[in-house]
Amino acid sequence: MGKDRVGSNKGRRPGVVKETRKSSNRAFYIALAAVALGGIAVLSYLTTRSASRQVIEVDPTLPPVEAVGYVLGKADAPIEVLEFADFECPGCAQFAILTAPDVKQRLVETGQIRLRLMDFPLQMHRNAWTASLSAACANEQGKFWEMHDAIFAAQDRWNTQATGNPLKVMVELAGGIGLDVSQFANCVETRKYQANVQAHMKEAERRGVSATPSFIIGGKLIPGAIGYDTFKAYVDSALAGVSAPR
Amino acid sequence: MRRRLVALLALGGVFLATYLTLYKLGLIGTLACSIGECETVQTSRWATFLGLPVAAWGIGFYLLVFVLALLWSESALSESRALGWTMAALTGWGVLFSTWLTYLELYVIHAICTWCVVSAILATVLFVVVLAERPWRSPELAA
Repeated sequence: MGKDRVGSNKGRRPGVVKETRKSSNRAFYIALAAVALGGIAVLSYLTTRSASRQVIEVDPTLPPVEAVGYVLGKADAPIEVLEFADFECPGCAQFAILTAPDVKQRLVETGQIRLRLMDFPLQMHRNAWTASLSAACANEQGKFWEMHDAIFAAQDRWNTQATGNPLKVMVELAGGIGLDVSQFANCVETRKYQANVQAHMKEAERRGVSATPSFIIGGKLIPGAIGYDTFKAYVDSALAGVSAPR
Repeated sequence: MRRRLVALLALGGVFLATYLTLYKLGLIGTLACSIGECETVQTSRWATFLGLPVAAWGIGFYLLVFVLALLWSESALSESRALGWTMAALTGWGVLFSTWLTYLELYVIHAICTWCVVSAILATVLFVVVLAERPWRSPELAA
């Protein structure tokens, strides 16, 4: 700066230099303010925008679900909600821990909906497959939902960041909910239900699911860990047969 | 002039790093895991450094460069060679760290997070502009 100042001042009257500096100062302050305000505006836009989710209509001509998934609720419930979940996804764990208990108690048990869950282990989650296979093997012993809850509650103990051997934790969890542990371990190790999990993933891909958790409620695909009120609103509009609120 | 440019760019960097931090914390975007590449990068184990999100370190880095660049261009410290060297060392470190992160994206994680790359480019531009100021020159000699 020292050099510039000396160089640029050469041959100019002091008053002129003063004026130029003053106006260049003003330009600099305006530029600083513009960057600051612009940054704040963009950030606040982005944080508020996340409230409105990208809901898309599911192609109504798609064939009905072929894979069985894991069903909770009565066979004669008026609507079926499909959930696609990745056991290693933190968003899925949040839904399972915070929202799912209310959904079960207030919507499933009251006979308003039937929930059908399907696995969608994402490639980036290296331990998700072990969890999906473990849940399937718990299902074999009639305890899928108990295992589902246990797996999500312990997610930070068996995820990719925590361990390279998720099966060890799975066996522990299986013992905790009273499964026959040796049958369970054998079932997971031989990947007995691999084809089922693959069938679930195929259903997800066919429906254009690109994030977990995702829900299909009354012909609408809703991505993200939605809260109970939002979930209920979609259920209500599906029940009423009108379009869902934003 | 260049020093003011450094300050402006660094201020932009503060917002960029804030965006990436908010994204990492799940405050921007849907709370979900998606197939997108940014998601892969931001959920990888390299997205955390010494217990904090890498993007949060980025906020600290750009904030420091911003404050120092203001001192360098606006205050009496503009004559200080030590400050010039600090600017060069700091932004040089920024380039090295960004290079390491971009290397990880390309060859280890195999996914590219666009705004992370923009940050790497910004860090490089900052370093180049600081070098263009030739901070090693003593002000007496220049005068």
